[in-house]
Amino acid sequence: MSKAQLNKNKSNLKIGVFLCRCGGNISDIIDMEKLRLSVKAEVIEEFENLCSINGRKIIRDNIIKKNLDRVVVAACSPITHEKTFQNYVSPLNPYLLEMANIREQCSWVNPDNITATEKAISIVNAAIEKVKYSQPLVPILRKTPNTAAVIGGGISGISASLSLARQGIETYLIEKEPTIGGSMVKVGKLFSPEKLAEECAMCLLNPLVNEAVQNKNINIITNTTLKSAERRAGNFNLLIENKARKVITDRCISCGNCAEVCPVEVKDSWNEGMTIRKAIYKPFSQAVPDVYTIDPENCKKCGKCQDVCRMDAIDLTMEDEIIPMTVGSVVIATGHKTFDMNKRPEYSYGRHKDILTQMELARVMGVNGPTKGELLKPSDGKVPQRVVMIQCVGSRDEKPGGRKYCSKVCCMVAIKHANVIKQHYPDTDVIIGYTDMRTPGMYEKYFKYAQSNEVRLIRGRPGEIEEKDGIFIVRLEDTLSKEPLEIETDLVVLSTAMEPSEGTVDVSNILDVGLTEELFVKEKHSKIKPVATEVEGIYVCGTAQGPKDITDSIVQANAASAKVSELINGGVELEPFVANIDNSKCNLCKKCIDVCKYKAAFIQDNMLSVDPVACVGCGACLWECENNAIEIIGQTDEQILSMITGMLKDKKPDETRIIAFLDSVGYVSADNIGINKINVPSSIRIIKIPSMNRIMPKHLLHAFNMGADGIIMGEYPYNPMYSKTKEKVNGLKQELIKNNINPDRLAFYKVYIPYFRGLANKFNKFNNQIIELGKIGSKIDS
Amino acid sequence: MKTIKLDKNPLKLVKDVLNDLKASPDLGIYKCVQCGMCASICPGASQTEYDPRDMIRRVLENDETIIDDETIWDCFSCYTCNSICPSGNNASEVNQILRQMSIEKGEGAQKIKDFCAYGDSFMEMGIGSIPNEFFNVMVKDVGNKYMDLKVNIEDIRTDLGLGNYILPKESTDEIEAILDNSGFKVRLEKIKRCKK
Repeated sequence: MSKAQLNKNKSNLKIGVFLCRCGGNISDIIDMEKLRLSVKAEVIEEFENLCSINGRKIIRDNIIKKNLDRVVVAACSPITHEKTFQNYVSPLNPYLLEMANIREQCSWVNPDNITATEKAISIVNAAIEKVKYSQPLVPILRKTPNTAAVIGGGISGISASLSLARQGIETYLIEKEPTIGGSMVKVGKLFSPEKLAEECAMCLLNPLVNEAVQNKNINIITNTTLKSAERRAGNFNLLIENKARKVITDRCISCGNCAEVCPVEVKDSWNEGMTIRKAIYKPFSQAVPDVYTIDPENCKKCGKCQDVCRMDAIDLTMEDEIIPMTVGSVVIATGHKTFDMNKRPEYSYGRHKDILTQMELARVMGVNGPTKGELLKPSDGKVPQRVVMIQCVGSRDEKPGGRKYCSKVCCMVAIKHANVIKQHYPDTDVIIGYTDMRTPGMYEKYFKYAQSNEVRLIRGRPGEIEEKDGIFIVRLEDTLSKEPLEIETDLVVLSTAMEPSEGTVDVSNILDVGLTEELFVKEKHSKIKPVATEVEGIYVCGTAQGPKDITDSIVQANAASAKVSELINGGVELEPFVANIDNSKCNLCKKCIDVCKYKAAFIQDNMLSVDPVACVGCGACLWECENNAIEIIGQTDEQILSMITGMLKDKKPDETRIIAFLDSVGYVSADNIGINKINVPSSIRIIKIPSMNRIMPKHLLHAFNMGADGIIMGEYPYNPMYSKTKEKVNGLKQELIKNNINPDRLAFYKVYIPYFRGLANKFNKFNNQIIELGKIGSKIDS
Repeated sequence: MKTIKLDKNPLKLVKDVLNDLKASPDLGIYKCVQCGMCASICPGASQTEYDPRDMIRRVLENDETIIDDETIWDCFSCYTCNSICPSGNNASEVNQILRQMSIEKGEGAQKIKDFCAYGDSFMEMGIGSIPNEFFNVMVKDVGNKYMDLKVNIEDIRTDLGLGNYILPKESTDEIEAILDNSGFKVRLEKIKRCKK
């Protein structure tokens, strides 16, 4: 049935009203007889407890026998029993039921029979008026395709891909480098709090990489970046750019003859620039895919590699390729980079070869690194007498370019390297200069283990490093003994901060995913939605989301893949109360897209669409839409206006009535007032609205025209649209002034579920304030 | 043994410092993590008992004896502590506020008594100049060049095309009136009267 047909017949609709006595909870206070006589409907029935099986029979029999079109159940809060009664109205569509909350928000908060009965009448009337405009609806079922893209091939991306693939989800693992593995392949050893030992990173990673290669559900796409993305309900259309490898993957047997003859030498980023590689190269021996790659920036196209390649695998004419793909979900696993030491010249990094970062030290000590695992100073190839490690370099730093946060892993990384040094070079003294050693949980054992290995700790943050006659002087204050200290050393290692990688920022911008102040990917909620992003269907894991170690990255990767799987396998059934677009009125001005913090609106094929999964029906977009092309299903203007009419139409001249628009949090808080039997002024009439953003001047003016003496708006402050709401209240007050209504008749409050007493106090205060102001239309308003 | 007493105002000193006129609005004393980075590069700390980190600790711990502590007078106001502090704090500024508190109390006044001559110079001539009391020190530090400069100042200024630096009487009178009305003069006299 179309909306037009519904509205045409609305005066002839057969409405059944069912009143619940709730075992005296309602009928002890409310005069049921008076309520019954005051309500106009086709059927009015009253029962002891409507939620029982017998109640169900009464409702159903009446719907069938009397051919009812709509049902109002006046009983408890919809939060308690709406689902029950939605089932009871079958064969009627469940959304043609409206509940009138005459228990929590009436009989339990109004001990006075007369005013409580009057209030109950208006609450039931509001429900009757609203239900006339209700439409049969079906819950939205989200169907997500069984495919996912994982962006970033480090340990997080590999773990997420494996978990997705094992659940039968077709996964594209997209990596910008020629090989997957990320930072973990470079670090050599891993810290392990349980075993009090350093484990081989490659030995742990390799089986995972091999499984990823062999798993039929995983397509590893290296040398590739995300170029653009478009979201369509339940789908992401991605364009990825595959940089030409110029080596035919199927032919290359990784013999390395090409690299031997290549005349171009460049710094090898795999060894943090401490060694050189050729323009045709394989990053490291276990690289996956196991093929050589030409670095187009440095290749001179001399063709020498082609001459020696027996497999005819080199094709210098190969061009970059743009590949389109459609996936159901995206996992961002773009990782981190380390702090740019040019920002901290006081540590002389870059001016002296023997001042390293922890990652460079990891390469020096890696068996596949520049010194084959021997701890030798880059300057002279000798074993250092002493290593001084400086913690919090760029982390916990509020100076320009610094990172205000703690990078979380550096204490363990420093301890790991200190342990490895002490095991192999017991004669080398290791000093860690720290501000706080942060080794939470089991890592405390690891910290103690380092102490027992004779690693020395000095509490103080060095301010500068000076070179004097070939040795370094590290200046710090030993803050425990209150002495400025100069430490002589021949090797310095800086524990640099973890920063979001360029890829993290780029990919987030392309996917329209929000970033934190520090440019990490922002979670939807840092406590309860730690891997979801602002965009439905896009998840984040690993260091793209914030500094963390490998363990936490893997935990998060598995959580992200579980979330993808939920969407695919569970399907999501959602209430259909979302924005609905009339495309014949929409002029594609995009103002709604800009205002929506839920990122629910998007343009598809030159038409505005709303992702019903992302939309919460808050109504902020309605304000922006000049052509009235948007409505919120279940909260149409007609429905809101008719509820207001119902609440006020029988108001007596000497009565005060206040309409309280509450969001879902406020509504629960108001129910809590009832559950705790706290009295509320009889003037208060509560109308539930998903967000105060939905309230427009016409609603307020209609309420005042119908005789409301005051209006309250209550909104939970920690929802993404709250700032918009606050702005709007001022605008609403201005509208009231224009219409000669005292703006003090409108109050805006923050609401919280546990602070129901506060809300009750506010109801009381506002009621007194309105009584002082006098009735609507009195002198004070004009 | 030190006791943290049940005190109604355990943050009095830090609040006094933060509420001082001289305190920058973003002075980050509360954010200090006692890392000692300021002390590691402080020239005062390397040569004397002054410790900017410990000074901040004592302010945060409401230890008012820091105001009378001799060490706070060993700061050079070079602001390196401020430029390096990773927590957005400024030990130099805190030091200057503490010194001012010490001067108000009377103890610190003697520390700056010698500098009163600068004030006198402003009162008399309307400009600051190095007081005669410091002449010998300057000659010792700078050498004979300083003496030459002092003796030939008029000629040097003429060579450089600079005008007369002596202000006309109506200007110096005006400056004196300002210094008088603003309380500078009274303050100067008060400092001069303090005993060494």
